[in-house]
Amino acid sequence: MRFERHLLVALSVLTMAMISSKWPNAHAQSASSQSARPRLELQCQSFGKGPMLECLIELANRDGTPLDGAQIMLSALMPSMPMAHTIKPVKAAATGKPGQYKGTLELEMLGAWAVDVDINGPVRDKRSRTLMVSDCEGKPRCAASLAQATDRVPTPTGAGHRH
Amino acid sequence: MSDRIHSASAAASGVNGTLAQAMRDALCHLPGVGSAAGVHAVGLASDMAIMSLLALSAYLMLLVGRVSFGQQAFFGLGAYASGVMSAMFHAPLGLALAAGAAFGALCSWLIALPTLRLSGLHYAVATLAFGEMARVGLSAWHWQIPGEDGPVGPAGIDGFRDIRWLLENNVAPIEYLVLTLLVLLFVLGLLMQTERLRLGVGLRMIGQDDTLAAAQGIAVERVRLFAAAISGGLAALGGGLYAHRTTYIEPAVFDPMLGVHAVGYALLGGLGTAFGPLLGVALDLGLLDASRLLPGWRMVIFGGLVALFLRWRPRGLLDEALVHRLASHWRHLRSGRRTPSVSLPATRRTP
Repeated sequence: MRFERHLLVALSVLTMAMISSKWPNAHAQSASSQSARPRLELQCQSFGKGPMLECLIELANRDGTPLDGAQIMLSALMPSMPMAHTIKPVKAAATGKPGQYKGTLELEMLGAWAVDVDINGPVRDKRSRTLMVSDCEGKPRCAASLAQATDRVPTPTGAGHRH
Repeated sequence: MSDRIHSASAAASGVNGTLAQAMRDALCHLPGVGSAAGVHAVGLASDMAIMSLLALSAYLMLLVGRVSFGQQAFFGLGAYASGVMSAMFHAPLGLALAAGAAFGALCSWLIALPTLRLSGLHYAVATLAFGEMARVGLSAWHWQIPGEDGPVGPAGIDGFRDIRWLLENNVAPIEYLVLTLLVLLFVLGLLMQTERLRLGVGLRMIGQDDTLAAAQGIAVERVRLFAAAISGGLAALGGGLYAHRTTYIEPAVFDPMLGVHAVGYALLGGLGTAFGPLLGVALDLGLLDASRLLPGWRMVIFGGLVALFLRWRPRGLLDEALVHRLASHWRHLRSGRRTPSVSLPATRRTP
């Protein structure tokens, strides 16, 4: 009984310490981080079984110059099934063209997917786009467009996600 | 005197800061953390911890004999409230999470006031209806303020993007995982302590037979309202952690399936202890989803397991009888002597 109480106190102290250690510099870093946010263009195409989703990312600084040397991780999740169907992230590699990176995700099904672009260095940022991955209807590959309102709200007929 | 207190607190915060920095360095330099597999593992563990909070909120309602299919609404309200606090009002993370949890608890209490008087089935339907009302309400909610990188705030069906507190404060995903786990362990510890108190016994008594509990002098309605408020707060706390982890939320996230899963985890894992819902989450997200053993069949297996359990083991894997047996064995192991364990008959009562 006494051990559990001590454990509870220790856990609460640790949690508070972790949260409070981040408090003082919140505003100072906020401004610098906001101003360093890069511009991002994301275009994805689906193909094959899975389906696979190949994404092309173009990164640029605020002044429009291409941003090279970024470490980018691509991941995807289904908004209508959060915390399930989490897809294994992949690293997006530089294509050789300035500021351009490419990565391919293996999805589990067709439907609305939120694609996360996690940038780690030289700046840190995270962007997400909700894309509609549809059946290519005979074509080898097709563009995944931004999901519309009707795609995002799951209905009993399954507009939100399709197997 | 005040100077001494001030210098003591400054020294303590300095030690805290150094300790936090050392922990942070150690965590960020763990082998494999930056690899795709490492990122996936950290993400999965964070999801499991957050989902456990939602499952614990459903568990608390099941303990008092009510099945709530609306916990996803409090999860969503907490996510939006804490997102508004940190992204629009630049509140620190702790305050944003606390505000989200408090808002979720308040909403849950207000909803419980008229609905907890309903019988089991009617209450379940009422919570499901509230969950959908909340989701539709969030889909219509537009409130954006200008930010440095465009408008910030809830934008109806497009959701609420750029909840960037973790990025702005350079918090690594693994650090956030540790924080989430600490919050979960704290909540778990608190629940397990409560279950030993008169209040905890009262919760179970109400769940088993509220008439008998009332005859024993337990204020059934008040305890149920308290449980509803705490369960709403827990779900909202999970929502706040989720919003900051993913940096964006949208109403589609708070689908009824999320609430159904939370109830399923509690029923599958067991109602004998607060560890039960965590076991349910580990079975589904950790084993079925993450292992990719049977891709496409996860929902069928999970649904089948819940159905089987409701028939053969209605109070889950870790039900009261098993928990009692395990606790008894543990006590004997600690005391170092062997005495015959007393086992409780397994209850057939549905939650």
